[in-house]
Amino acid sequence: MSQTVPSHVVLDPRLAPPFPQAALPMLRNPQLRKNVAHAIDVIQSKRGKLVAEKTDWQELRSAASAIRAHALDNLGAYLEQFEARCTAAGGHVHWAADAAEARQIILDLLRQENATEVIKIKTMTSAEIQLNPFLQAAGVSPFETDLAEIILQLGEEEPSHIVVPALHINRSQVREIFARTMGLKNLSDDPKELTNAARTYLRQKFLTVPTAISGANFLIAETGSVVVVESEGNGRMCLTLPRTLITLAGIEKVLPRFEDLEIMLQLLARSATGERMNPYTSLWTGVTPDDGPQRFHVVLLDNGRSSILARPRHRQTLKCIRCAACMNACPVYRQTGGHAYGSVYPGPIGAILTPQLMHMEHAQSLPYASSLCGACYEVCPVKINIPEVLLELRAQVVNQERKQTVRFLDPMYLGLRIANLLFAKAWRFHAAQRLGRVGLRLFTRKDGWIHTLPSLGAKWTQTRDLRGLPPKTFHEWWAARAKERK
Amino acid sequence: MNQPVPSQQLILDRIRVATQSVAKDASQLVDAYAALPRTYIRRGALSAQARIELMIQRLREYDAEVIESTPQALPASIAAQLEASGKRTFVAPHGLPAEWLAPSFDCPAFNLMLDHCLTTAQIEQAEGVVTAAFCGIADSGTIVLHHSDSEGRRGLTLLPDWHLCILRTSQVVDTLPEYFDRIQQPPALATYISGPSATADIEMTRIKGVHGPRFLAVILVRDDAGNIL
Repeated sequence: MSQTVPSHVVLDPRLAPPFPQAALPMLRNPQLRKNVAHAIDVIQSKRGKLVAEKTDWQELRSAASAIRAHALDNLGAYLEQFEARCTAAGGHVHWAADAAEARQIILDLLRQENATEVIKIKTMTSAEIQLNPFLQAAGVSPFETDLAEIILQLGEEEPSHIVVPALHINRSQVREIFARTMGLKNLSDDPKELTNAARTYLRQKFLTVPTAISGANFLIAETGSVVVVESEGNGRMCLTLPRTLITLAGIEKVLPRFEDLEIMLQLLARSATGERMNPYTSLWTGVTPDDGPQRFHVVLLDNGRSSILARPRHRQTLKCIRCAACMNACPVYRQTGGHAYGSVYPGPIGAILTPQLMHMEHAQSLPYASSLCGACYEVCPVKINIPEVLLELRAQVVNQERKQTVRFLDPMYLGLRIANLLFAKAWRFHAAQRLGRVGLRLFTRKDGWIHTLPSLGAKWTQTRDLRGLPPKTFHEWWAARAKERK
Repeated sequence: MNQPVPSQQLILDRIRVATQSVAKDASQLVDAYAALPRTYIRRGALSAQARIELMIQRLREYDAEVIESTPQALPASIAAQLEASGKRTFVAPHGLPAEWLAPSFDCPAFNLMLDHCLTTAQIEQAEGVVTAAFCGIADSGTIVLHHSDSEGRRGLTLLPDWHLCILRTSQVVDTLPEYFDRIQQPPALATYISGPSATADIEMTRIKGVHGPRFLAVILVRDDAGNIL
């Protein structure tokens, strides 16, 4: 039976409801949770085996972490080097300060080509700047070519994972989407047949549409090359057959040298899909006569990244190579899937990246969408200490909130202000303890436990019991003991 | 263009302000890069024989077909594989050694065309392609193409459904870093192929052959037999 996935999902942090609210419909959708858990179990078990066979895994992680940190510390120099080398090889480099500028640059380039259609390789950066609806409205039809992205585009769905974006949709749901949108009434739900349907659907597009848009996994400063990592071959099609190629890349994607790939490529596929190497990795440099697109543009996107760079402890967020190992390992993501995060970047990395890209004005609930168990840090191939950044962001949220007048009577902040007063003087603290002991005696049962509390206290006792206060505080016991000894 | 200069300046200025306490000048940058830790394994410990066996095993895990041959037998092996594939039209890069293909040109069972500026439509019409390779990496079963004259343009190994790749055992390395050690000058173009095109986007079920060639066959030519024995 195919149960429809909620279609009202909003992946814009400015509009999405807070995480606990957005998570509820996901938690109540058993089909979705089953789909997510199945996909994650498969990736996790494959990843586990391949990481275990790599005896130098920790050394690779350390090297990758150091290279990414070094690239970010010297980002300006490496970006300028990339631009110079890419330009010398016949590419054109454009700089976009924000999403709106990037969209406009891409549209202008497409208009120069008189494009009415454009084929696309899966790129989360394009989803971040919401490129597709913008192009559609401007009269250029974008065609996604990655199988998962086709499923999402045709089904009018939103991505819920950064590597396997349609992992929340099962085969019968895919069949339903393809049968409806491709007019294939007799399609079965065999993944092989569904994949073939997508191959046929796209073949003509690859051969006829003269413009393509890609993302980038890595930019190589030393050579001006761009690297795209993929599985299906749709990437190679888009990178090779069109006349014009536009690559959209975040400014943080740069690696200093070509040989740095010897580390990154060993880590990326193992972490992302549990393969020793992904089926296809493509590297190209500007324009090559008689091979591939003869017009090549790179759009370097800032869109909040330089402000992340400005905070030393947050900077590590930008080391990310988008492998999604953190979301596969996350006990919270496993329960909610990706849509609850209200962003194209879900999971632990999304919980730290989204609020920062939004300058913390939106997505304030995301730093709390974690149990701080640390599984994400343990699997991260570039050693991003996600719990550390989560805690930093939580502190930032609190700092912002407590200054807001609407929060003046908020029970949490009221409580904390009272606690602040009480803890300021020893006599106030002792008085409060005595008062509390008398007050709580009413609720303490014979077994010494408090099982229910009224009003706000109920929020605590709904799910757990509370020890009743002992007859003496430690202070009182200590003072009495000293007296006895004399 | 949408005033690229001001945004470039704006972004680079923001980056400079953000990293001013740590960013290095040009000469320091080289030293800082050289000092980065690289304690991972560079060279594999496998014997030459074990390395080739691992390469074959990995390729077969990807459902690639592996045929062993010798330098003397290679031209005949190529013709035999083309014929055995059951396909009738093949293309090959123009720089592939002429002696490799001589028997294939004479074979009446199929038609082989060299890529002298073939159009995309002509390549698309071909059912198979024969190319050389730059390198093989045993650890991951990866075939590296640098798209030289004997490896062909990128489109050549992409559109035909069947790819016959000729790899010499002397080209096979154990680990990925060993491939990088073999490179004097970074390539302008490179494609790393680890098994035929595949997807796992529907319920993580691995399906072979989405858009690239659905079938990969490798002729492994024992050209360093002296090392192996």
